[in-house]
Order: sequence, then C-alpha cells, then structure tokens
Amino acid sequence: MPRTIAVECPGCAPLRALTTDVLGLVKVVEARGRPGILKVVETWGQPDASSSVLAASYADHKTEPLLAVARKNGLVDFINPLNGEVLNSTKIDQSRSSDSSVQDDHVAGLHLFKTKGHDSFSRVVLLLACLEKGNACLTSIAIKDQPQDSDICSPVTWNVCSAGKILCSAVDKSENYALFGGKGVELNLWDLENCSKSWTAKPPPSNNLNIFYPTWFTAATFLSEGDHRKIVAGTNNQQVRLYDTSAQRRPVISVNFRESAVRAVCEDIDGYTVYVGNGTGDLASFDMRTGKLLGCFIGKCSGSIRSIVRHPESSIIASCGLDSYLRVWDAKTRQLLSAVFLKQHLTNVVIDSHFSDEGSGGNNCDQSDYLQVRNDTEIMDDEEMPSKTMKIDDEELVPIPDKSKSSKTKKPSGIEKKKSKNRNRYNDEASETFESEDMGELVPIKRKKSSKERSKSLEQKKSKKAFGQ
Amino acid sequence: MGGGKRKKDEGSDVEDGGRENKKSSKERMLPSMIKNKEKRSEVHAKLKHEKKKQKQKQAKARDAAIKRAIELGEEPPEKKVPRTIENTREADETVCRPDDEELFAGNDADEFSKVLKQEMTPKILITTNRFNSSRGPAFIQELLSVIPNAHYHKRGTYELKKIVEYAKKKDFTSIIVVHSNRREPDAMLIINLPDGPTAHFKLSKLVLRKDIKNHGNPTGHKPELVLNNFTTRLGHRVGRMIQSLFPQDPNFRGRRVATFHNQRDFIFFRHHRYIFETKEKKDDSKDKTAKGAKTKTSPQEKVIARLQECGPRFTLKLRSLQHGTFDSKGGEYEWVHKPEMDTSRRRFFL
Repeated sequence: MPRTIAVECPGCAPLRALTTDVLGLVKVVEARGRPGILKVVETWGQPDASSSVLAASYADHKTEPLLAVARKNGLVDFINPLNGEVLNSTKIDQSRSSDSSVQDDHVAGLHLFKTKGHDSFSRVVLLLACLEKGNACLTSIAIKDQPQDSDICSPVTWNVCSAGKILCSAVDKSENYALFGGKGVELNLWDLENCSKSWTAKPPPSNNLNIFYPTWFTAATFLSEGDHRKIVAGTNNQQVRLYDTSAQRRPVISVNFRESAVRAVCEDIDGYTVYVGNGTGDLASFDMRTGKLLGCFIGKCSGSIRSIVRHPESSIIASCGLDSYLRVWDAKTRQLLSAVFLKQHLTNVVIDSHFSDEGSGGNNCDQSDYLQVRNDTEIMDDEEMPSKTMKIDDEELVPIPDKSKSSKTKKPSGIEKKKSKNRNRYNDEASETFESEDMGELVPIKRKKSSKERSKSLEQKKSKKAFGQ
Repeated sequence: MGGGKRKKDEGSDVEDGGRENKKSSKERMLPSMIKNKEKRSEVHAKLKHEKKKQKQKQAKARDAAIKRAIELGEEPPEKKVPRTIENTREADETVCRPDDEELFAGNDADEFSKVLKQEMTPKILITTNRFNSSRGPAFIQELLSVIPNAHYHKRGTYELKKIVEYAKKKDFTSIIVVHSNRREPDAMLIINLPDGPTAHFKLSKLVLRKDIKNHGNPTGHKPELVLNNFTTRLGHRVGRMIQSLFPQDPNFRGRRVATFHNQRDFIFFRHHRYIFETKEKKDDSKDKTAKGAKTKTSPQEKVIARLQECGPRFTLKLRSLQHGTFDSKGGEYEWVHKPEMDTSRRRFFL
C-alpha cells in the first residue's frame, strides 16, 4: 500500500477570520465544532484585478464591527463583516498628487480608529489612510448617509515624507500615535492629535566592512499595547529592529532573520514577543527583550507571508500570504492548528474576536477554559489574576455551565505542562532585564481599565523602567 | 528491520495456531536464514524459480480468461491498473477544477493574460550567465530555433536587474537566462515582463540536436504547444508562464510541436515534427477472426502520424517562483522549495 502521511492538524478553537486578496474578494473563514477545521463560509465581492485589496483594517467591536478595505483603484470600502454588505465607499483624497502620478499612488496603510471618533449613534468613523507617495490623511466618514453632517470635521492631510515610498504604517493602541516607514523613508512617529512629527529614526552606522544598507522598512508595529515608545520594524535586508523612542534614534536591538526580506511583523499581547514573517514563507517568534529567536513555525509554508494577526484573547495567530493559504498556529507551542486554501494571493487577514460557536454550547466553555489555563500558567505571579479574567470572559461569552469546570481537566493537562515549560524558558532568557511581575501587571490592566486610563498608567510605569537595559 | 517486524507479528497472533505454524514453516524456508552460502543460493534460486512459475501461470490464466470472454462475446474482465506513484499521489486541495469560477477570473487578471489573449505578441530575450562557453551557446542556438521571435543578447557584465530594465524599455515580454556551470547548462530563469513572476528551474538531461539520432531540422513555422499535466494552481501558473513564451497562433502547416510534459514535478521538453501518412493496412489474423467481414469491405487505408524529433531535449524542475521580476535578496516568493516539504514521495506541487 502507498505509505501516505496524513498531515495532522489538531484543529483550532472556534474562530472567525476574514481575508482579503488580490482579486478584491473578501472571504470569511470559520472554524466550528470540536476539531475546528477552517472552512470558507462566505465570499464577498466580484473578482476584479483593479479592485485588488492593498490594506485592510478591522474595528473589532462587540456590536457593529466594521471592516475597512483599501483597494487598488483608490476606493476605500466599508464592509459590515457580519453580512458582507458594503455600507459606504469613499475615494481617498489624492488632490495633492493631481498630476499624472495619481495612478501610481496607492494606499499603503489603513487604520480604522476603534476608540476615538467612533460614534455608534451616527456611525461616524475616523480613518487614517496613508498613501505610498507620503500623504497621510485623517478623515471621519459617516457610514450611513445622513442629512446632518455637521459633526464631520474636514479631513486633515499632511505629508509624512517628501521622497521615498511608504510601505508600512501602524497606529498604537491608544490611537494617539502613528508610525510610518518605507523604502527610503526612516521610521517616523507622528502625534495624531496635532499632526506633528515627534520622532525620527536614524540609520544604523555602516558595519565593519563599511557596507551601508539603504533604508528600506517593510513592516512595523508597536511592541506593547500600552506603550507607544517601543517600535519593532522589519527591513528589506532581513533585519528585525527594536527602536526605543525615549532612548535613542538608532535601533536598540537588531537581529537578522534568515535570508529574505521581512514582510510582516505582529506583536503579541504579552508585550515582548513579536511574530515575524518573511519573503520565503518563514514565520518565527522573537523575544524582543533579548532579541532571541524563540522558534520557527514549521508547516510547509512556501509563499511570502503578507500578514500576521494575533487573536486578542486566545493564543492563536493567523498568517496568510502569496501561497494562498490561511494558516492558524498556536502561538505558544508553534504548532500548525489548521490551514485552508483560499485560491488567490492573500493580502490581509483579520480576526473577529467576538465570534463564538453558537451551534454548540460546549465550545464556549472550552474556549474560556483554555483562556483560564493560559492565564493560570502565564501569570501565576499575580494571584487574583485568573479570577479577574474569568469574570471578563463571563461577561463577554456565555456564562459557563457547571459541567465545564469538571471537564476542565480534560484538555488543559497537556497544555499546562507545555506552558509551564515555556514559562520557565522565558524566565531564563529574560534574566534580569524584566521582572516577571512586570508582565503580570500588564495583562490585568489591559483587561480592566478603559483605554485612556490604561495608557496613562502604563506610561508612568514604563517610564520608570528602562527597556532591555 | 523486516525480521523484527515479522517477529512482532508472530507475537501478536499467537492465538490462531494453524496460521502461526504455516508462518514458522515459511520462516524455516527463508534463504536468508541459511548460513551456508552454497545451500542458501540454491534455495534462493529454487524459490525464485517457483515464484516465476507461479507468475507465468497467473498470466496464462488471465489470458485464457480474456480469450474465453471474447469467444463467448462477453465483456473481457477489466484490466488491472498498475499502482504507480503518480496515481497514488497525495490528495491536494490546490488542484484546479474546470468549474472553478475564481480560477478563470484569476487567469483573466494575471500577468500573462495580455499575451495569451493575443493583445501582445511575445518577444523573448535570451541571455546567459557571465561566463559562457561550449554547450551553453549551442543550447541557446537551438532554443532560438524553438522559440519564435527570440533574440539573443550577449550578457556582458550587465547586472540582471539592468537587463530587466532594458528589456522592459524595448517591449520584450519575457527574458530567459540560461545559466551554465562548468560549461554545462544547469539552470534556467524565466522572467515575465513587465512585472513578474520569475521562475527558477533546474535544467538537467540536456541533449542537443546533433546528439539525437535521426533528428530532423525544424522549419521556421510557429510551433504548436503541448502542455501536459499541469494540475495544481502552481502548475497552472507555471504552465501559463511557459505558454506565454510562444505565439498563440501556431502555423499548423509547419507541423511542428513543442511539448512540455510534467511528470512528478519534472517538466520534460521535447521538440518534434510530425507527418500524417496514409498507409496500407496489413491483414492480421486476429482481425480476420474477430470482425472478418468488415475489414475486408472497408478501405484498406489507415492514417498514421509519424514523429521525428528535432531537439533539444531537456528536463526542468521548478526551484522557486518569485513574485515580481528578478530580485534575489528582497524578493517575495510565491513558492520556494524547502526540504521540509519532502516528507513524502507522493506529494507533487505542479
């Protein structure tokens, strides 16, 4: 008999993800049931090369979530991610570049504000779009056509860079700061409230062979959620760099990753892990406190990774790219959980964190069990922590039936072991740089307080502690 | 290894004594357990002979069954299909289906559609690596005769990225770079212009025209193209890429075929001329007995196609498919071969 090895995918927890591709389609992928295998549930849009999606942003609200999609033809569509209805579409302002170069000027980055400017009553959203030629634009747009548009302020447009091509942008969690970088553009940190540049990076000096690599940032993100001063960026010459805007303009840590340009960078909620994907389809996680490679995600991934996204609650990451597969990985064990073939080159993936499998009640409690275990093991230092998160889970999800607690022991045992092992390793690596209680504090604050309070309190805390030094 | 397994089996089915006995007797027969070489080879030869006899017997029985079935006018028993690596290949979800709407939409939008819809005529630039001699130029000479509207440019010391820029300006649609190592062509790079993709192939088993016995000389007609077995999405894309090298309106009068045949991820190239010949049909005894009357009345002529190989002959294997034009350092790959993919012999990517 032919000896065929079935690739064993353990399946993932209930999950809903939306992917966008080069033909302008938005596909909804869901994992349901016990061994959650990802499946394409819905496909929205007409295949058309000119409406190829360049950037996407997702406002992950519990009620009325919103997906913004920037297309190649200059349109930004607002899509209801629950039923695929296009609520509004608007042309991004290209008035500055009114000459012939309009066609070349594409949207490089898009961000939909989650906390600011979002008015659920009139459905006005604030949107930051960044064009390749260096124009950034902050506009608020009414999703539903309403007669009174008095509260809609005029769009704010400013120029991020005069030369070069912007390739990446990011907005921090408090949504006060934006980050831009690209080919020939050093990383810029902008204060969005008064549209002023607050920090610029400086290229590292040439190395001992006198080789100087030209500036070419391909991916960037803020490292920790509550802190806008730590920036992780990926460059075209395979480097993953950590910048600390409060300390210096040159990178604090710079690590080489394999032999191909870094294409996607995504931060973890723990505030020190980053996931890095590159042009040959290698995906790895780095501990940015030490710059050490934690490990690679291995799973026959053969095409460039375009987008990585982490689930805001459970330790799952999703990656997609030019090999047309959406892959879901366990962030801690780095195991491939499930993969689905989506036929087109994918550009972006977003996760709907409020999705729960309503079909069977068991999965809900399963997820929360999972969460609890994670919290138990991760943040053991803080005793009151697990109960807190449990409470929040209860609010968000369905109240946990009693039997779930008895069944809790089923799944976790193995995971717990692994987790605790991991934890030990982290602590070894962390050495003296980070106190473990520091991490313990980060998570509960994030869950408990409102965003502004959180950012302030974290800033205060952070400012006392030097990062990685 | 085998021995160990057998022992395990023995241990597992101790219950049924008869079977075990049989097994143990067989075991005693095993020639590999005999220590005397002469005796061992003798027993081995005997065993082999027996096996052969049995096989012949089976074949005879099978033939007889077929014959009998034909005589009785029944359907002959179904022929068994041998199990090969290809027909037991691992299930692949990326295999293209003819009813896939998205696939066609994707085809319309891809980089080759302009050439394939005949909005543009393909124009190919062929060049080499920097140091090139012996079989390399000879191969390129033949490649020029295979691909119409191909132009050879000396590489000089230009960088490939510069050449790409140049070719874009001069309206070339593709660049082929033949790389040779130790005076033997060993790799081929096909760059589709103006914006990719770039395919990197390993080139092996190159036989030039002059080394092919009874080879023909190709005419200047536009060849027909045969692309076989490009099944998956990746294969489909590679197939379209190869297709875009050739003009889409072949001169059927020229009776010239270029074939790219994919088998187990190896792409075999052959170049033929063909001719249709009418030939007198020979009466063979079988026909007489089976449908005797019919054959006698029908015209005794039969059209057969004869092939003549023109060369060159070579085999390609895809190493990587890169998004965009050639950029080895900062490029994004659509597909790269990685060693971790080679965990099964029955997994194919094209």
